Amino acid sequence: MKTKRTMTLNLTQREMDVVQELAVKKDLSKTGVMKLALRLLQNIDARVQPGKKLFVEDDETKEKSELVIL
Amino acid sequence: MSAKVYLKRAKDGELVQATLCDQITQNHLDQWETTWIPEMKAFAKQRSSASGPEDAHWDWRGKVGKGATFLSHCSFALESNGNLQGMMMANTVVSARLPEQFGKPLVYIEYLATAPWNRPETSNPSRLRGIGSAFVLTAIELSIDEGFKGRVGLHSLSEAEDFYEVKCGMTRLGPDGAHQDLTYFELTETQAESFRRNI
Repeated sequence: MKTKRTMTLNLTQREMDVVQELAVKKDLSKTGVMKLALRLLQNIDARVQPGKKLFVEDDETKEKSELVIL
Repeated sequence: MSAKVYLKRAKDGELVQATLCDQITQNHLDQWETTWIPEMKAFAKQRSSASGPEDAHWDWRGKVGKGATFLSHCSFALESNGNLQGMMMANTVVSARLPEQFGKPLVYIEYLATAPWNRPETSNPSRLRGIGSAFVLTAIELSIDEGFKGRVGLHSLSEAEDFYEVKCGMTRLGPDGAHQDLTYFELTETQAESFRRNI
């Protein structure tokens, strides 16, 4: 078991609602949602560098929409 | 960190203690280079084939190095008798595809390999059994620890498809054009629990 550290997170009601909504949708705890979000952000941040873009492609129409990340 | 696990000696079924390490280290990669690769090359030469086993081209040093900085990537190694018996890399930002768990996160096994001397197809007789099962169990435990309830997914090399479907009880979702047409398999919470009970 890896050592874990604790932090307090203050969220607005709207942010907390979204965390709760994602927790239900993803079948995770609220902590699990935040950890998943952190991993995703780290992955995306490492890939999206100047001159690179992140797209979501529709499987059927092949239509691409750009995701704007930080 | 490491944990004790038990493998089976292929010739007589005797239990053999092994150590599961929660990181592939430089020492493991050195062992891979000095022991696995020569044996895979020897097997390829014996079969007069340029390629050897299906995973012979996997560059573990490159794969481990690429994933090392990411929280989403985990690596594991199994050691026994001072030898590297298997390695696995997993990713924790992948979503499930089965309709009943679609979109929910799972532990995705990116690479799993057992040492060439433990494979019946490359070494007769093979030395140890149970490395694949030990790693699938490790992936299930990781999934539970992450709050993913045992959900696991992977693309299988053709030689390992029966193992994942029959031995592990995973659901076969068919070939995936986005992954060299490798067959995709997935484990649900219920299937994971069944695997843990029966192993």
